[in-house]
Amino acid sequence: MTNLLNRFFDSQRKYFEPGAKLERLNALFEAFETVFLATGETTSSGPHVRDSLDVKRFMVLVIVSLMPAFFFGLYNTGYQSNIVSGLSPDFMSAMTRGLRIVMPLVIVSYTVGFFWELLFAAIRRHNISEGFFVTALLFPMTLPPTIPLWQAAIGISFGVIFGKEVFGGTGRNFLNPALTGRAFLFFAYPVKMTGDAVWTAVASSKETAVDAITAATPLSLASATERFSSIQDTLSGSGYSFMKLFVGNYPGSIGGTSALFSLIGAVFLLILGIISYRILIGGIIGVLATGILLNIVATEASTPWFSLNPSYHLVMGGIAFALAFMATEPVSAPDMNKSKWFYGFAIGALTVLIRVFNPAFPEGAMLAVLFMNLFAPLLDHIEVKIRLGKRIPNV
Amino acid sequence: MISLNVKKGYRLKITGEPPKELVELPKPSHVALLPEKIPFIKPRLKVRVGDHVETGSEIFEDKRNTRLKFLSPGSGQITEINFGPRRVIKEVVIKLDNKESYVPFEHINKDGLQNIDRNDLVKMLSKGGLWPLLRALPYQDIAPTDKVPPQIIVSLGSSEPFQVSPEIYLDGNTDLFAFGISVLEKLSNNNVIIAANAEDKSRLPDQSGRITHIIKGDYPADNPGVILYKTKTSAAQNNSWFINTQDVLLIAGLLKEGAYPTGRIVAVGGELAPHPGYVKTRIGAPVSHITQNENNKIKSRCVAGGIMTGYSIDKKSFLGFYETSVLILPEGGKRELFGFIQPGFNKQSYSRTFLSSINRSHLNMNCNMNGEERACVACGSCAEVCPVDIIPSLTFKCTLADEIEESLSHGLLDCVECGLCTYVCPSKIEICTILQNAKRSYYKEMSG
Ligand code: SF4
Ligand code: SF4
Repeated sequence: MTNLLNRFFDSQRKYFEPGAKLERLNALFEAFETVFLATGETTSSGPHVRDSLDVKRFMVLVIVSLMPAFFFGLYNTGYQSNIVSGLSPDFMSAMTRGLRIVMPLVIVSYTVGFFWELLFAAIRRHNISEGFFVTALLFPMTLPPTIPLWQAAIGISFGVIFGKEVFGGTGRNFLNPALTGRAFLFFAYPVKMTGDAVWTAVASSKETAVDAITAATPLSLASATERFSSIQDTLSGSGYSFMKLFVGNYPGSIGGTSALFSLIGAVFLLILGIISYRILIGGIIGVLATGILLNIVATEASTPWFSLNPSYHLVMGGIAFALAFMATEPVSAPDMNKSKWFYGFAIGALTVLIRVFNPAFPEGAMLAVLFMNLFAPLLDHIEVKIRLGKRIPNV
Repeated sequence: MISLNVKKGYRLKITGEPPKELVELPKPSHVALLPEKIPFIKPRLKVRVGDHVETGSEIFEDKRNTRLKFLSPGSGQITEINFGPRRVIKEVVIKLDNKESYVPFEHINKDGLQNIDRNDLVKMLSKGGLWPLLRALPYQDIAPTDKVPPQIIVSLGSSEPFQVSPEIYLDGNTDLFAFGISVLEKLSNNNVIIAANAEDKSRLPDQSGRITHIIKGDYPADNPGVILYKTKTSAAQNNSWFINTQDVLLIAGLLKEGAYPTGRIVAVGGELAPHPGYVKTRIGAPVSHITQNENNKIKSRCVAGGIMTGYSIDKKSFLGFYETSVLILPEGGKRELFGFIQPGFNKQSYSRTFLSSINRSHLNMNCNMNGEERACVACGSCAEVCPVDIIPSLTFKCTLADEIEESLSHGLLDCVECGLCTYVCPSKIEICTILQNAKRSYYKEMSG
């Protein structure tokens, strides 16, 4: 098998080499070839041996970590849709339905995104970075299931181009590309991204367009809670127990509702050392600390948000997903350890503050991450300066 | 004794560790000098093909400082002078005869050493061809003959895989070593750091009075540059000198006997070494002689020096002036099917992304890159391993952007060129080489 593939790629390589017809598509050839066969290149300077880890494995493991949340997302999307559409909510039909809703989005995200990746790779003559395959999976997971495919296509295009390529490509970007695309859609097509109706795909849109009773998301329920009553009560009144919120079985973005499955993915990545525990724990502390602080300053007159049990913040909306997979994305996060604590903390805190003070942006987590992406270089800069100040100069 | 704890670093668990047995090799038929492998020098040849030389005859000098002389490690006839591209002198080959005649040098005993003028000592060492064994940080060029160093660092460490353990060459040589240290004390006005690894210490012959620092940590904790970084209190110490411990014995031998010493103990290791172990041989001996007829059938790579810091060398070539180990590693280069999704129980990795993190045994490794070059993914591993607290990912980016001032402030010159950052990088960026080149070109710029 190896030999056969080797011969195949060797025979095709000549078309992609510099000077050959398809020279510009070398990145495509390289990407395709190295999926099958690992490089045979050996070191030309010391160290003579190299670590076995490469970016491919790094990114594949991130994709693996997303799988629990992704599969739960398939199920949940189908389940919510079937419920509202009056169809059977059993596992198999929910899964099938979920697949039918989600897979087109995933396919659009990968093909359109890959087109841009390839175009930039050809122009810049560099290779395709495997990070893209993570971006293209993360992106649809943040979307409402009802989003039209063409909007998804625009979103991923914006994410790849303006979240990454204009800054010089992977490694130089300081925004998370998937979130950049998501945020663009949020501001460009608010109708399709907000309101209760978008979070559940209804089976056949024609007949139900008018009278479908779409379920409210926990966040909108919370925001709609009347003064002097408690959000917890409102939520449990609508059937949202803490456990249910934790598992994520409620209408929301495709892959982002489940704190449980985000947590599973995050723990997997922590064990492998791929993401920083500093950001993750910093974020959780940020959420809880801000929640507690609000509890303390809450008065009779303040909105019910103030007195919400802080742990509820962690299981509602996209915060768990954002902390596990977006905030920890290494390229757009700070490099320095103390900055990572601060960065995580700020994301958590900002998410809660946005929810409480500006209910118009229910998905505050996404904005908080993007906002802190902007500050990551500054945080690093400050910490590096402090650290360099302690060095005995050597010039 | 001061304890130094070096937290960052990494210990490679790789098969091929040579057993600690010393074999004395017969005399080789040829020896050679490799001017090309001595960094920074501009050699001027003093011999021609056909010339007869004695042990200690001058073969070439450094045009930059003609007090730096490089002498013949044997008596015989110059049979070849090999040039590389741009007339770089690669090898000066000497066919050894049986006369073992040698150039006599001045010699000196313990008491003489107490009273000798420092300048005379410098003269003796440079005439005797061993001054170049003393090198100056941070560039690792040969120490300047006209300066007094802030301190001299002698590291008894061997934390890089497959190096000669100090107890082997110190065995029976403790007096000679003490004499060598007195020489260094004289040269540095009594500022000598002698550092040993905590785990080696118990095995060392009784030197305890002499050792000043005990080092705990993984590779490259015992590198002189790391010791300097961990101990320095002022910028004045940045130009400390260092010398390999085996070379302290050479210097002592030269001054005591008045003859150019030629003996070397070399470690032969690596998975494919046919006779792994330590060998006693001669400076400049042929690689094939040292490795005792390597089996050429398997695709293998021969490395002079360490697995991290050494350079690959032709099996027909010779061992350089500074190197004390020869490694034979599998070249690798086989393409693996779906390599990136293997569980990898036997794949070495600093990260925890392979099952090998629960495998404690030493693993086979070859010279495969194990991945294609990519942009930095900010994984942070390089900063985790850098023993001198550089953030290699930031520093190499400044260097590539030609922001040399910036990279200097990041500690570029503290880089000990250990190669760990390159080793761990999943994006397969040659960070260490980039930093090394930046250091060297900055040095060349500075020294005009
Ligand atoms: S920068 Fe790299 S080569 Fe230099 S000391 Fe640090 S780890 Fe070693
Ligand atoms: S090890 Fe490589 S990929 Fe990781 S931060 Fe350093 S330079 Fe970047």
